[in-house]
Amino acid sequence: MTVPLGAFVAVSAALFFIGAAGVLVRRNAVVILMCVELMLNASNLALVSFSRRAGQLGAGNPLDQRGSVFVVFVFVIAAAEVAVGLAIILAAYRNRPTVNVDEIHEMKG
Amino acid sequence: MFDLLEPVVFAVLALGVIGSGVCVVILRRITAQALLMALTFASMAGMFLLLGAETIALFQVLIYVGAITILILFGVMFTKQDERGYGLFFQQQTPWAAALVIVIALPVTFLAFSFKDPITPSAKGGDLIPLAASLFTDYAFPFEVASVLLLAALVGAIVLVKRDEG
Repeated sequence: MTVPLGAFVAVSAALFFIGAAGVLVRRNAVVILMCVELMLNASNLALVSFSRRAGQLGAGNPLDQRGSVFVVFVFVIAAAEVAVGLAIILAAYRNRPTVNVDEIHEMKG
Repeated sequence: MFDLLEPVVFAVLALGVIGSGVCVVILRRITAQALLMALTFASMAGMFLLLGAETIALFQVLIYVGAITILILFGVMFTKQDERGYGLFFQQQTPWAAALVIVIALPVTFLAFSFKDPITPSAKGGDLIPLAASLFTDYAFPFEVASVLLLAALVGAIVLVKRDEG
């Protein structure tokens, strides 16, 4: 008995919606960054699941790993994004000591 | 008996992913949120293992559970976290937001469960060798571009948080 592909995709979709709701609802910039990471990770799960399926269906090379290669690039982008995002949050915090995105409403330095 | 192992593991991991994901959104204690986010990432690594993508699971543990969680915790530590609650939770948009979520989420759920192909265990030897072969031959140029992007992010992060001398 194996787990069907749909279950993985459903978990991925659920986590993506949870992250999207967090981005929309929360006002703390650090929490928003966390929720963006959750969304990126949900997309990774969908990519890996469909990559497994593409490899199994025999569409070309059974060692086809294109989805997984894409996940590696998503990892790189996520790491760069969180580093630069936190740097921006800290720079804004130095200018005006709050992490509430409602109170950071001007970009003038 | 052994047959049921995989669905049970999947159920535990799915509970870990979705439960701690919901807690990240709902809780108001920021350190607990950051650690629950790490739990979400760790459960996700288990899901990658279940899918037969061991190398991706290893990267997940190294990059997400290790590096990104630590970075977020540094961000929590360096900023003052006020105790103000949810911005928009109990306002009048809630019914509209719920209606919109139902309209979007229900079709996505049905679409997700429409994929019924079983996931069989991967071939012997794991996914490291095909992944590496693909990454360093077909995708060598994007790989180099990604390394330049990481360098740019490194320099950018340092420049952004550098204090002006004097």
